[in-house]
Amino acid sequence: MVTASDYQAELERIETDIAEVGEQALTPPTDTEKVTKYVNGLYRRAVHTGDLDALQTAEAAIGEAIRQIHFAGDLYLLRANLAFKLHRLADVRRDLEAEPRLLACPEGLAIQADLDFQQGRYAQAREGYARIIESHRTWDSLARLAHFEAQMGNAAEADRLYLEAEDELTAKEMRSYAWVELQRGLLDLAHGRHAEAGDHYARAEQAYSGHWLVAEHQAELLGAQSRYAEAAELYERVVERVPKPELQQAFGELLTVMGEHARAQGWHEKALAAYLDSAEHGGVHYYHHLVDFYADVRKDGAEAVRWARKDIALRDNFASQAALAWAHHRNGDTQKALAGITQALSSGARSAHLLSQAAAIHRAAGRAEDADAFARTAAEINPRHRSFHVHR
Amino acid sequence: MADHNDPNAVNSIFSDIDVSAADLYDIFGFPSADTDGGEKVVIALTFASVPQAGVLDPDLLYRIQIAPSRRIVRAAKEDQSLEALLKYFDGIKQTYLKTLKPLEVRVTIDADNRAHIRFINFPGGSFAQVVETNKNLTLKSPGGHAIKAYIGGRDDAFFNDLPGFFRSINYAPQFYHVPHTMTEARELPIPKTFLELEGNDLFNYDPANPNWGHGVKKDLPPGPLTWSGNKFAKNANGNYRFVYSGKDAQAGKNVNAIILEMPLAYITDAPAQNRIVNCWGESWVRKAANKVETIPDDPLWIEHPHALIDALTLDDELKKYKLVDTDGQAFADAALSEREDSRQMGANNFWLAPHFIKRLAHLGWGFGPSVSALGLKCAFDHGNSPVSVHRTYSSVIEAFPLVKKVLFQEMRMPDDSWNPKGLNIPLRRPVEIFIPNVNAIDMDTTGTWPFGRRLEDQVATRFLSVFLDMEAEFNGKKYHVEIMNNQAVWDALPIEPKTPPNPLKNDREFLGHFPYLAEPW
Repeated sequence: MVTASDYQAELERIETDIAEVGEQALTPPTDTEKVTKYVNGLYRRAVHTGDLDALQTAEAAIGEAIRQIHFAGDLYLLRANLAFKLHRLADVRRDLEAEPRLLACPEGLAIQADLDFQQGRYAQAREGYARIIESHRTWDSLARLAHFEAQMGNAAEADRLYLEAEDELTAKEMRSYAWVELQRGLLDLAHGRHAEAGDHYARAEQAYSGHWLVAEHQAELLGAQSRYAEAAELYERVVERVPKPELQQAFGELLTVMGEHARAQGWHEKALAAYLDSAEHGGVHYYHHLVDFYADVRKDGAEAVRWARKDIALRDNFASQAALAWAHHRNGDTQKALAGITQALSSGARSAHLLSQAAAIHRAAGRAEDADAFARTAAEINPRHRSFHVHR
Repeated sequence: MADHNDPNAVNSIFSDIDVSAADLYDIFGFPSADTDGGEKVVIALTFASVPQAGVLDPDLLYRIQIAPSRRIVRAAKEDQSLEALLKYFDGIKQTYLKTLKPLEVRVTIDADNRAHIRFINFPGGSFAQVVETNKNLTLKSPGGHAIKAYIGGRDDAFFNDLPGFFRSINYAPQFYHVPHTMTEARELPIPKTFLELEGNDLFNYDPANPNWGHGVKKDLPPGPLTWSGNKFAKNANGNYRFVYSGKDAQAGKNVNAIILEMPLAYITDAPAQNRIVNCWGESWVRKAANKVETIPDDPLWIEHPHALIDALTLDDELKKYKLVDTDGQAFADAALSEREDSRQMGANNFWLAPHFIKRLAHLGWGFGPSVSALGLKCAFDHGNSPVSVHRTYSSVIEAFPLVKKVLFQEMRMPDDSWNPKGLNIPLRRPVEIFIPNVNAIDMDTTGTWPFGRRLEDQVATRFLSVFLDMEAEFNGKKYHVEIMNNQAVWDALPIEPKTPPNPLKNDREFLGHFPYLAEPW
């Protein structure tokens, strides 16, 4: 007998939940419990399957649900989460402010701290996370702070917090446990500890089998380990299951490394078409992927700068600053690149990727000594930072 | 920055965590009538029948902790000041933390629904056994003691009008769809009461919707979630309306249970002296890391100070689980701890003693005036308030004088049947009953509440009698813990429906023999 994977079993449970209440849940006279169950089911299914179109359908349903029920705080929070996933930070703020309780509840405070982080208010973000942990020591609040510390280059502290987050998770939350394992794997990967990353990914798969997200991380690691054929095989399976353009781009980049330029071209074009389609329809979610794509795949600095400016207008943080700096670098505008990367580094963020970009920009600006120093630090953080990796 | 991979990516505002098998319901305990071969104590821990009655969740671990002790001798001239009370709490704390070394029965379930039962630190010998579920078993200890055990599904032995209780405390989630984010809309700021408040449309019984609160919920109305009236409601007959219905909300429901009957000589070396068997239950859920078999023990407990404290008290197995629920004294959690997860502390609830005093005063301002309005005498000092009041306290010093009598009055028993040997056993008082949060079974009594808890005890109603003045009389007889279970009382009071608040007996007859709880439905 074939046992369904944990991923499949959960998807079936979500489908059952949706089917139990059905679309008619939104037809007046409505029942709050059914409305909430229905739209939450749509949201969970979209997130579970990584389907952005389904996420938009869920958003429309949530909007309708908000119109139907008196106390819609939960649904505003749900929509704020959804908007956050799509990088619509102004919408996040608007939904939080629609229900004053959300500005004070732990879940609302967590999103506000996330907003601070995304918008470059690092001290407020860290303080916000710490305050939530003090009052609500939940796995996700610990993971949020861990993520912050990881981005700021405090890998040991990040891993300690992730470990603590895991300790809060029970056998009834294996998907979340697997997700934290992936983060711990990413931390190892960012420091060149491939074997350790592999252990975390294997543990994630063991904890929660069959999730495309785990497979995608494993494919990246295989690529980083130069096990290209295995990586390509796995990527191919993942992109067949989940048509996310960022995965298609990653697969294309792997194929490029493998010298399979024609195949790579196909996947890159597919990814680009999806990015542009999203942007044409008002989506801002893929701006930063477009920056990466034009800067590193197409090596089109001008286009990269154009998209980077749009992204930084939404969220001015070290990542968007560095992306714009890199775009300027690609565009041959060294002084702007230098100013941008300096600003990004002033945030305190540290990673081999960021520092290697800083090294390249400084080198282009004729600052060989600084470039060498950045390159050395990048190599110290991750001696394998030039291996295949994904822009997340 | 990890744009698509941050914690927000997996965060869901609605809990999809199912740990309801960890929801402990009750812990019963009483001396067994079977004294062949020596005295025995019966302890039954009941919990949610998840995944189903007779099938237990393999991710859960259940503990029954047992601390035999001597009966506390009360000082002839007792100091009943707040200072003395806090000193008493501290003494209890020291006893539980340092003196008593609880024995433990630990149960886990394997993938084949077999129970792994372990008896840990018992003077009569520790041992472990893998046993079948849903069967009456007799286990043999290393010292040869026969221990009866049943682990599996039974009828829920608790019989009560839970919606009535929730109506009395204006607990909105029983009656309304309360959004997760409306944390202030649990117990609404409306006076707690036994009698309906005039104009309290948020909670008063609606004859057009009789199932409201019994599975049927409404949407929260947009208006203020408060009450602005100033009197109790009366019907055309001039009677008050009872918030209780007397109906059994647990009828036809099952539980899973761990039921034990153990020789007293097995749990203490000095059964003649240790006449009190303190017991409480705990449910623990397996940590995620432990579910992945190949994962070595986390070094977290070395690195993290909170875990370090745990490491000093938890054994290797418990470090792999997370405490979810505790159960000791009936109504200690539901009524006195506001059902907050952070207050699930079992015997360790001496930390909560100040909160207990403040909560009791809050309840007193609600229940007290409704007791008085009926013409009954109340132990809580509400200053002759004509109607229930919603009042909370931040200061123990302020609350203590009002609840002093409630805390220190002896809970009179209806007759002497609880004390079959006629021994000089003091009546128990609320201060002793609820702190610590244990079921303290007195082996020289029948074990009826508050000297333990027998299956047939209507403890929900007995709990309410805490607010009555035990020095007062009804029909020439002093109040006692059973008075509100007496139909004659309700017949005499200006109230409708004329029913005791909770049903007088269980929907299924209990068995006269082990495992005592009725067969599951």
